[in-house]
Amino acid sequence: MNLTDREQDGVVIIEPKGKIMGGPDASLLHDKLYEFIEQNKKKVIIDLSRVDWMNSTGLGILISGYTTLRNNDGELKLANVTEKIQSLLTITKLVTVFEAYDSIDDAIKSFH
Amino acid sequence: MDKPIITGNTMIIPSNQEFLADVDVFLEGVLRGYGIDESRVADIAISVSELVNNAIHHAHHKDTKKTISIKINRDKENVIINISDQGTGFNPEDINDPLAEENLLKDTGRGLFIVKSLMDKVDFEITDQGTSVTITKSIK
Repeated sequence: MNLTDREQDGVVIIEPKGKIMGGPDASLLHDKLYEFIEQNKKKVIIDLSRVDWMNSTGLGILISGYTTLRNNDGELKLANVTEKIQSLLTITKLVTVFEAYDSIDDAIKSFH
Repeated sequence: MDKPIITGNTMIIPSNQEFLADVDVFLEGVLRGYGIDESRVADIAISVSELVNNAIHHAHHKDTKKTISIKINRDKENVIINISDQGTGFNPEDINDPLAEENLLKDTGRGLFIVKSLMDKVDFEITDQGTSVTITKSIK
């Protein structure tokens, strides 16, 4: 997995690419997320359009980021969730936790 | 042992997360060779990554001197994969329900639940020598 990030309209957008399965690749997403949290950037979107799949390690990173931001008056939202990841969110009931949007624009609008 | 060894459809890796991606490349290569559709390939790859992660963290407690073997087989209707470790074993019934309200926001504890959800059959054999998990997925 690799990732890029950018900011648009005061919202951080993190774009991982590949598979999130644990090990060094998963640390990359975790570290990037916490880098923004430490910079007090509290509106975060994770764009999942280019993530082939993730396992419970990836879900754990999303939840950890979600709860950390929520506890600091921030929010983590998902955009462009692929069918495979949507299926995992459904079977784990995490679909009830995360706000998910069909596009980055919709996700950004939801913050304003 | 400091790097993966592949013999036929079996891969043995040192118990280290560094090799998860190697397992995935090996596994997906064999599965595509069987002509399995991409959705099932992903389900199997997710499940194997969960079981290898479990072996590294929970069975071997990150002891990189231990090894994990991944053996892939198929018959006419199923892919059958065995993941064996050298750990102390565990009781699969002792795992907390990840869907319970109090566990929903925990960042761990979903691995085995996901494997059971994605696979058609999951069998455990736990001995003094380690844990052997066999997963079966229909390919028809």
